Amino acid sequence: MADEFEITDEMRAQFGVDSAPWTYEVTTTSVRMYARGIGSDDPVHYDVDFAKSQGFRSIVAPLGYLGTPVFLPGKNDPTFGFPRREGGPRLNIPFKGLLDGGTETEYFDVICAGDVLEESSHLADLKLRDGPRGKMLFVTNESVYKDKATGKVVAKQKLTSIHM
Amino acid sequence: MAQVYFEDIKVGDEIPQLKKNCSTQQLVLWAAGSGDFYQIHYDKDFAQNTGLKGLIVHGALKNAFLGQLLHDWIGEKGQLRRFGCSYRGMDEPNQDILCRGVVTKAYADGGNHFVELDVWTEKPDGKKTSPGTAVVTLPSRS
Amino acid sequence: MTQATNSVITDEMRAAIGVEGPQAVLEVEKTNCRMFARSVGHKDPVFFDEAAAKARGYRGIVAPPGFLGTPIFNPASGSGGAPGEMGGRGYSVPYKRVLNGGTDYEYFPEADVICAGDTITARTKISGFEESEGSLGPMLITRRETTYTNQHGKVVAKMYGTLIQY
Repeated sequence: MADEFEITDEMRAQFGVDSAPWTYEVTTTSVRMYARGIGSDDPVHYDVDFAKSQGFRSIVAPLGYLGTPVFLPGKNDPTFGFPRREGGPRLNIPFKGLLDGGTETEYFDVICAGDVLEESSHLADLKLRDGPRGKMLFVTNESVYKDKATGKVVAKQKLTSIHM
Repeated sequence: MAQVYFEDIKVGDEIPQLKKNCSTQQLVLWAAGSGDFYQIHYDKDFAQNTGLKGLIVHGALKNAFLGQLLHDWIGEKGQLRRFGCSYRGMDEPNQDILCRGVVTKAYADGGNHFVELDVWTEKPDGKKTSPGTAVVTLPSRS
Repeated sequence: MTQATNSVITDEMRAAIGVEGPQAVLEVEKTNCRMFARSVGHKDPVFFDEAAAKARGYRGIVAPPGFLGTPIFNPASGSGGAPGEMGGRGYSVPYKRVLNGGTDYEYFPEADVICAGDTITARTKISGFEESEGSLGPMLITRRETTYTNQHGKVVAKMYGTLIQY
């Protein structure tokens, strides 16, 4: 069935359709955990007093970390944590393999612990390619993150996943 | 579960059981949740190099399972006062861990209604791996 | 029972009983409460959903049983280990093997319930030593007690740990 997969007009019709928003929270513990996870030693990610002395509101989220989606059992994917929500793309993907194809992040502000963001995403692209083991489907989603308090866009992210 | 009241229980009653079965993924989630990144819970080579047969479930996670067993039983109006266990036997991922509890005492004191329990986790063959105790207070209909 | 081996409890160890160790600061936030609850497999929304927790009269998301906050991790100061650093622990014991004998948690809901937004300070002391002779041979049992105090000065929890050395 995977070999017969084709991108349909129905799937393409979902391009650009924004999902319902979801709350992403940036906390001191989550910033530190992400920084620790990448092996960073920079005190701006750990020490609140130091970060403030550098002019930031609080410790700074390492690049790539845009907060943790509010997790509600049954509402979030149990493995990847992303929210399953209204208006999200509905694709029936028959491929068993899944790889991260890459992420691009664009910043419009510094994200700090204490920030509460609202994220909305849409399906941006689908590409079917032939690979050494059969068809490969590249799915690109674009997300926009706004500061919940001010409504300002603080970041945009483009994520590609490879199904094969 | 419907809210349980002090008058509904008596010494010797068993509370509703909670069955767990940890995938290796759950052990990684627990590492993130507890901050304990000891490799014997997710790196099989590492675990075997320390003399273990394979990955084992962290004792503190089983303790937390007993916390869930009690929390779910006492309901919104009950309060968890004390719980804990000893880490006697090892449990592995992908195997049933049954969390159980039995009421050992029930009494009123100072306006509160206390219930004491023996709680434990056990393996499919019935062997107790984490024996412990708990104290809760329940609402009263009186 | 005749004690075949001599006691390993020294005066130095006895002097350590009751001595509070250094303070550790723990943060209880929405993200770590949810992560702990998710990893255990809790389903009660009180551990995940702020609106649900407040509807039940709590200040915020409730810390699940067994979760007392995340220590502040800072690679510069080498901090971020779990509280348990014992006061007065300068002694050594002739037993090479260690077992975690278990942990008990005690809560004081009349004082307060631990919720997201709380900052907890924790201090640990040795509460006592015992010796026994069992199937593993002579054993030293060390009992430790950690007291958790919230930002309002209320003792919200205690953790009792048992260490077995043999």
